[in-house]
Amino acid sequence: MRNLKMNLLLIVLVAFTLSLTSCGSGSDNKATDKMENHEDDNMANMYACPMHPEITGKKGDKCSKCGMELQMKEGDGHGDHDHGDHEHGSSEMSETRTIEATTKKNSATSGIIDAYLQIKNGLASDDKVAAAQGGKALLGAFSKFDMSKLSGAQHKEYMDIMENAKEQAEHIVKSPIDHQREHFEVLSNDINDLITLLGTDKTLYRDFCPMINDGKGGIWLSETKEIKNPFMGSKMPTCGKIVKQIN
Amino acid sequence: MKRTLKKIILPILLIAFVGIQFIPTNRNQSDEILPSDITKVFEVPDNILQLLQNSCYDCHSNNTNYPWYNKIQPISWMLENHIQEGKEEVNFSRFGDYSTRKKKSKFKSIISQLKDGEMPLWSYTLIHRSAKLSEEERKMLVDWMQAQREAL
Repeated sequence: MRNLKMNLLLIVLVAFTLSLTSCGSGSDNKATDKMENHEDDNMANMYACPMHPEITGKKGDKCSKCGMELQMKEGDGHGDHDHGDHEHGSSEMSETRTIEATTKKNSATSGIIDAYLQIKNGLASDDKVAAAQGGKALLGAFSKFDMSKLSGAQHKEYMDIMENAKEQAEHIVKSPIDHQREHFEVLSNDINDLITLLGTDKTLYRDFCPMINDGKGGIWLSETKEIKNPFMGSKMPTCGKIVKQIN
Repeated sequence: MKRTLKKIILPILLIAFVGIQFIPTNRNQSDEILPSDITKVFEVPDNILQLLQNSCYDCHSNNTNYPWYNKIQPISWMLENHIQEGKEEVNFSRFGDYSTRKKKSKFKSIISQLKDGEMPLWSYTLIHRSAKLSEEERKMLVDWMQAQREAL
């Protein structure tokens, strides 16, 4: 009888242990349909496809050509509707504006940018492993970066960007591809701000994808003129457009 | 063979189990509300704070609410590691220390994990039934965080 009790105790303990150690592997069945705002918004033709402006409809409609959600037409947006305004569209990008927009010729950022582009190209070809390798390379590039040449003000801003970007890179190293893409969204803003802050001698293109960030859109950087969307991959490889050429 | 198991191994395990109960652990508990606490840097309505405390604070703040079974070793040790990891990801007691950039990206990650149902972890809600968020509560938290993120 006593042995039975002890066995039971052990079984309970083991069960508890297992239930606690199996943490962390949350399911990744990501719902693609984002929560939609079912506000009454019956204004027909007020919304247009960001890629095919001739396709119009009402809020929530999808483009018949590419399936993208229609967005409020430019010029019609009032108040808190800021869709389609590329430079100031997302809340993340408001940070971009506070930094003086000078693209200095600076080769010191090349290592970081190359690693970022490695992640970008991995994601554009739906290659999780390549993106993770890019993440590792980015962590390495940040640790090799020489901060001694930064001015006081630059230094603080750089530290903020670096800390955030490294965290995104760490997640890109260990996450499934849909999570990698979410972190890449944040990372793209960080790298964009880093370039605005410190400059680059590379020719880059700032591309805009209208579908990410809950339909508010967001940016990524590319070394090629050709659009290869890292957020959509093979689902919609050519979705997006160039908003700015750097150098 | 079966006899040795019962006569030797089980008593040893039992003694070890009792023994480890006396090894002290650093518990994640503090009454102090730091100036960097999320409630000090954001306007947090009571209902939102309640949700945060109930469903997030055990692993994402400086103050864990320990039920009796979490004070038993080795569960307690594993829990401490877990809490350490959770606090590294986001610590609501230190949220004010984060840069604006980091606050925004933290809000973004939290929102996305709430929407996908990844947080609170199922293994956690399995034991802490009360920490489970209803769809409505989930939406409340998401909406609040979205508003804070946009205002930053």
